Amino acid sequence: MRKTNIIGIFDNENTLLEAIHKMKARGIAISDIYMPYPVHEAIEAMGKKSKFTFIAFLFGVFGAVSVLSFLYYTSVIDWPINYGGKPTNAFPSFIVITIVLTIFTVTILSLFAFSARSGIYPGKKYTMPDLRSTDDKFVMVFDKNNISIDAVAFNSLLKESGASEILENEEK
Amino acid sequence: MYKTEVRGALILGDKNYNQVTSDIIAPIDRKTPGWWKFAFTISLIASTFGIVAIYVTVVYGIGTWAVNNSVAWGWEIINFVWWIGIGHAGTAFSIFLLILRQKWRTSINRAAEAMTVIAVGCAALFPAIHMGRVWLAFYIFPYPNTRGSLWVNFNSPLFWDFIAISAYLLISASFWYFGMVPDFASIRDRATSKVKKVVYGFFAFGWTGSSKEWLRYESLSYILGGIAAVLVVSVHSIVSTDFASSVIPGWHSTLFPPYFVVGAIFSGFAMVMTLMIIIRKLYKFQDYITDSHLNAISKILIFISLIMGTAYATEIFLAWYGGSEYEMFTFFRNRLTGDYTFQFWTMITCNALIPQLLWSKKIRKNLTVVFIISIIINIGMWFERFNIIVTSLSKDYLPSSWTTYSPTWVEIGIYVGTLGFFSVGVLLFFRYIPMIAISEVKSVLHLGKGHPTH
Repeated sequence: MRKTNIIGIFDNENTLLEAIHKMKARGIAISDIYMPYPVHEAIEAMGKKSKFTFIAFLFGVFGAVSVLSFLYYTSVIDWPINYGGKPTNAFPSFIVITIVLTIFTVTILSLFAFSARSGIYPGKKYTMPDLRSTDDKFVMVFDKNNISIDAVAFNSLLKESGASEILENEEK
Repeated sequence: MYKTEVRGALILGDKNYNQVTSDIIAPIDRKTPGWWKFAFTISLIASTFGIVAIYVTVVYGIGTWAVNNSVAWGWEIINFVWWIGIGHAGTAFSIFLLILRQKWRTSINRAAEAMTVIAVGCAALFPAIHMGRVWLAFYIFPYPNTRGSLWVNFNSPLFWDFIAISAYLLISASFWYFGMVPDFASIRDRATSKVKKVVYGFFAFGWTGSSKEWLRYESLSYILGGIAAVLVVSVHSIVSTDFASSVIPGWHSTLFPPYFVVGAIFSGFAMVMTLMIIIRKLYKFQDYITDSHLNAISKILIFISLIMGTAYATEIFLAWYGGSEYEMFTFFRNRLTGDYTFQFWTMITCNALIPQLLWSKKIRKNLTVVFIISIIINIGMWFERFNIIVTSLSKDYLPSSWTTYSPTWVEIGIYVGTLGFFSVGVLLFFRYIPMIAISEVKSVLHLGKGHPTH
């Protein structure tokens, strides 16, 4: 069976938030919200949490450990050089490189992780319910099969919550 | 959380979201203006001069420069440090102000970041050609080689510098780019021409603006902002250790890292001011880059200028208080007086004295004067680097190796060339990329509205 979406279009942040509260109160599941800029309350209302900061911390640990081991391997094991009798494991002067390259590792890995997890990459095939959501509209998408109340009642509920337009489309 | 009542509305006028998008995208949709073509031609001529000078350097070697055994670092290192300094604005602006949650950054950060990426690119050119045999530049990478493997010297600040600058370039470029992805999507979805839709669509990476994308996008920008904030301090600290870890009088000082970092932010903010006034005037962005924004940058400039003045005074005081005759000589006979007095006093006047004019509200409101001051600061910062590098090297411990230094046309050519590359980059940015972060401006559109300005 083809999936049918009901799309509510809102003109501003306030009506969008109001609608989210109303839908939540009725127990109607929102499939997704498309916004021209991040509205924090709307993102929170979708109930998703990001574990990104923790993952980035792991990237940092990985970066720091690998840079320090590389420096230790090259300077102490592979080709030790005697600089005026100073120890070959010159830890204090390794710190600078370690910090900078750790930041570098975290940045690069986080970017790739973001790209992979969110599916943001060159040549991506994407669908948008309404193109105006990158300009000035807030778009709320519902899966028609998930809505327990009948279509007419639902549409009037959306209108009541402040939707300026209501559309329906079939997902391919 | 920062309250905007004091500063008033961040964006002036009663605009809706659609108007914001149209206003900011308008310069991309319009036909190329005449002044743009004129400026672009001039920049291309300057770039060509630079390319010729670089060609001469590569083919004939750095014997074509005036650097010698005593003054081994001339204009190239001056310009390198100068460009890196200017390249600090982007991180200082977007990242410091992002983690401090200063909402007024939103109109300015995009241009500051663009400038950073271009300036750091210009800077990176200098050490590469200073190596002499630029085709062997890859020797600086620590890769397993057939020479042993003989690794690079990980204890050398020059190697730290290489790491710091390459990392900084890549990180600031990716931070800048990912900030633009939602805006490219806005252009893509509005575009009427097919070419534009395909080109901006490609760069938008399939952005749709769904709640999941925004959630991760925001986490990403805080992560990158949080860790890259370290780079604002680290990059120029590392550049300063190129000097401070030597034993040359005038360089061998623990003051150098903070002094360099503050100097870098100073020149970066001055360059942001220059560019913002230009953008505001040429593209009529008064509602986005408001008087209040420029006022805030002016105030930061006065503050940093005071720190710079203090740093100069501290250096002179320590030369006397430290009791080293070589330090005394460098500061009192070769900077305050002597062959390079002009450069020294220009530095003091441009960096520590003239910016004090910004204390006056009347001057802060007069954008022509502010524009001139912002350029004067960057001239002063150039002389500061000249002062540090040339005075210390020209007369060190051994009078028999004393010499003076003035550049050849090749050295001047490379500098003019980088100015050309920089303006070519900035002009392309003006023409093809939204100069103000559209989605970020939308999020602060209604802030401070309804509260009277005090």
